[in-house]
Amino acid sequence: MHKNDLKLSGEYNKIFIEQAPTAIAMLDRDMRYIAVSQRWISDYKMEGKEIIGRSHYDIFPEIGEDWKINHQKCLNGAIDICEEAPFKRADGTIQWIYWDVRPWYISEDKIGGLLMHTGDITIQKEKERERARMIEILDKTNEVARIGTWEVNLIKNEVYWSKMVCEIHEVPDDYKPSLESAINFYKQGESRDTIQRVMQEIMATGEPFDIEVEIVTAKGASIWVRAIGNGEFVDGKCVGLFGVFQDINERKLSEHALSKANAELRAIFNSKTVAIITTNDKGIINSFNYGAENLLGYSASEIIGKKAPGIYTVKEEVEKFMLDMSLKYGQDPRHFDPLKELAEKNEFDVREWTYIKKDGTRLTVQVTLSAIKNEEGELIGFLNVASDITERKQAEVELLRKNQLLNFAERLTMIGNWQWNTITNDVIWSSNLYEIFNVEENTRLTYDTYFSFVHPEDKDMVTDHVQYSLKEKKFPDLLHRIKLMDGTVKNIQLLAEIITNDAGEVIELVGTCQDVTEQRMAEIKFRGLLESAPDAMVIVNEAGKIHMINKQAEKLFGYSAKELAGEPVEILIPEDYKGKHSEHRSDFFANPKTRDMGEGKDLYGINRKGELIPIQISLSPLKTEEGVLVSAAIRDITSQKLAERRILKAKEELEIFSKKLVSKNAKLADFTHITSHNLRAPVSNLNSLLGFYKLAESEEERVDLFEKFETVINHLTLTLNTLVEALNIKKDNTEETLEDIEFNSVMVKTQEILSGEIMGTGAEIKSDFTNFPQIAYNKIYLESIFLNLVGNALKYRSADRVPKIFVSSGIENGKKFLKVSDNGQGINLKRHGHKLFGLNKVFHRHPDAKGIGLFLTKMQVEAHGGSISAESEVDVGTTFKINFN
Amino acid sequence: MNSTLNVCIVDDDDIYQFTMVKTLRSLKLTDSIMVFSDGEEALDFMLDNLHNDKELPDVIFLDIDMPIMDGFQFMEEYVRIKPKLGKKITIYMVSSSVDPVDIDRAKKISEITDYIVKPITHDQLTGIIRELDSSGAL
Repeated sequence: MHKNDLKLSGEYNKIFIEQAPTAIAMLDRDMRYIAVSQRWISDYKMEGKEIIGRSHYDIFPEIGEDWKINHQKCLNGAIDICEEAPFKRADGTIQWIYWDVRPWYISEDKIGGLLMHTGDITIQKEKERERARMIEILDKTNEVARIGTWEVNLIKNEVYWSKMVCEIHEVPDDYKPSLESAINFYKQGESRDTIQRVMQEIMATGEPFDIEVEIVTAKGASIWVRAIGNGEFVDGKCVGLFGVFQDINERKLSEHALSKANAELRAIFNSKTVAIITTNDKGIINSFNYGAENLLGYSASEIIGKKAPGIYTVKEEVEKFMLDMSLKYGQDPRHFDPLKELAEKNEFDVREWTYIKKDGTRLTVQVTLSAIKNEEGELIGFLNVASDITERKQAEVELLRKNQLLNFAERLTMIGNWQWNTITNDVIWSSNLYEIFNVEENTRLTYDTYFSFVHPEDKDMVTDHVQYSLKEKKFPDLLHRIKLMDGTVKNIQLLAEIITNDAGEVIELVGTCQDVTEQRMAEIKFRGLLESAPDAMVIVNEAGKIHMINKQAEKLFGYSAKELAGEPVEILIPEDYKGKHSEHRSDFFANPKTRDMGEGKDLYGINRKGELIPIQISLSPLKTEEGVLVSAAIRDITSQKLAERRILKAKEELEIFSKKLVSKNAKLADFTHITSHNLRAPVSNLNSLLGFYKLAESEEERVDLFEKFETVINHLTLTLNTLVEALNIKKDNTEETLEDIEFNSVMVKTQEILSGEIMGTGAEIKSDFTNFPQIAYNKIYLESIFLNLVGNALKYRSADRVPKIFVSSGIENGKKFLKVSDNGQGINLKRHGHKLFGLNKVFHRHPDAKGIGLFLTKMQVEAHGGSISAESEVDVGTTFKINFN
Repeated sequence: MNSTLNVCIVDDDDIYQFTMVKTLRSLKLTDSIMVFSDGEEALDFMLDNLHNDKELPDVIFLDIDMPIMDGFQFMEEYVRIKPKLGKKITIYMVSSSVDPVDIDRAKKISEITDYIVKPITHDQLTGIIRELDSSGAL
């Protein structure tokens, strides 16, 4: 090229560069500026500065060595292009620039310097960064707001869900839904109907949708979502859908909760039981709700506009409130507005107040007092919310009273109650329990507190019991001893209930503890008494179950006390007696009093071996805490029974013996009588006569006396003969003298002997022996009996009647008899009965009456073991009856 | 010195009757002697002479063992008629029985003054009559 041309072209280049709309600088090989564009000056803020001819590095001292190396590379032919790089300026600002640095050639292979084309992209860069930030924020927001996007390509029938949509559906990120499966997530019913309707609509008309519906996630959770959809149309045909999808469950729920809370608040405000009264900041009532009207009996119109307090409050309480509040806030009560203070401190006061109703009655209310502020935070009034707690108050009082009663009852019954939290090992005792254990109240308690009092000998048992209880989750009644600090030993009984959580784990034990020392002592005493009783004792309850037995009862029945406890008492009763026993038992409990059992009856028990034991039972009621029990004292009367039997036998033998003795005595008495009267009398006569005989003065007198002697001696002889005969009767009574005799033949013989008298008197004698014709008897006696009885009947006949005699034999009630009846004079048996059969007894002034016949008859009858009796009526007749043995 | 007492013997024994009468006569104790063979005969006589003091006996020697009505039966009847009698009658029970049953029974009857075992001696008889005589004189 031409030099001038070069120069000119250099000038042109300078002009071109100077006027270029972008930042361009032309530098020589020493990096000195040849030309710069206006833009360069404005971009690098070099207005007014002389830069042409100055070194680039002088202008930009901040340029580092790395750039300088790059510039040298470019001066050797390299091209350095950078799309963006921060350029830290000397003043500390960062300028984002792009550049294009390349050499310019003087000739084909001669480099004249560098051309720098830069751009300030700081603004673009910042905008770009802002956009990225915005996108990031949006993403974050989407995440936080749980918003995702979705698309449907209707041509390919493909559905795309964003990560969040997948998450909301609780499916994996790579889940590939179809249109149908996507719709199936919508809850059946209203939600699914809605989504199907809007989808059809959007595809038909392009109408976008925005719905709030419920879906059921893959994991089965039911949640609220918001789905927004738009259609994509090509040539009026829907080719795709896209939209956003948001999880609005929480919002929905809180919306529901809020609406519920609103409704509740509304309900509270309108409720009958909560009084809401508001005042302005001057204390003038400006609202008085239905509850307040109901509570206080004033209507809203009556009260609005009045100043509170003072209408329905008690003066003293208001003063007390003022005082309390001033104390609380450390203010002088005289110049102190507690409400203002509450407002300032943003606090509220809750306390019980007594309100006075319009009708003057008082009620207890719980009041919450708070300030009302406007949006600017200025006090505009006060809110007073009151609820009637009269009933609660009464219930509290009642509870308190009941608690006192319980305490009282616990003291009386020496019962305490306790709770043991097995998780925290905290133990709570009722105050009486402290007393039972003699422990200072308010002592901190754990299980070990209790356990430390357990009697050393009972510790193992208690530990076993508690372990068992915790394992089996039931607490059988526990009776054990405790030893107090002062050494006192008490017996306590624990009852408890085990409380478990939902998982069935034991969390707490609650129960009672009773000091049963006295009962225990009483029981021991009772036991002692029971054991010392000489009889077997069986104690039975009303249901007939054996309660306890003593050692004697164990011995008697062969069971141990343990075996019988709880068994029905019928186990001790033989089968034959069981039937009526329960009935008898009911009777006893209906009228419990001490009595002997089965009076007059022989009672038996049955032992373990099934042996019957004769027993005697005495029952007594036993009033106990468990109700009326019956104590049965049982005595084994086996030996008595045997003794009784022996005595009975001995008695029978004695009776027989005594009968024999009586009969012997009677006979002896007969002979005493005979000796006294029948033998002594004639002997005494003989003596008297002998006396006279000796004194007789004449032979005539002696002859006369001698005749008397003869009479006496004859009489004596007869008596002696009779006696001898009687004695012979007794002696003759042996088996050998018995023979079978027909009554009829004896009757015939008797009539033959008495034929003279029969003919003389014209007597009618009849007989009938058909029922009992013959008997084994001593023949001579039977003939004598017949002769005496028939003879007597003839001898003592009535003077006014022809004698009629009837002799008969028969069997009556198994006894054989012989009867002789007559119609004679009869005997006054009332007067003479006792001596009818005596020797020499006569009852008639009959010349032949000697009193021998019936005496001998009786002897003969008795000798055969029979008896003779008579029935008679004076002047009617007599019947003699012989009962044979 | 014969007494004026009416003596009555009630006994079925002929020989006893004979000896008693003979003794009373021989001892010259009384002339007025009545004899009955059993209680009923004696009772009938007394019923016939309830107010005839002159005929009623002062003393009765009563046997136990007699037919029809014995000594004890007679006493039962006598107790019944006694309030109607105008006269005090002394009764001795005279029997050959030494049976304590008889003796006790007689002693229990207050109307019987004494029980005498046969044979009655002369001294006993004299004593009884003398005593009655003297008390009667008072």
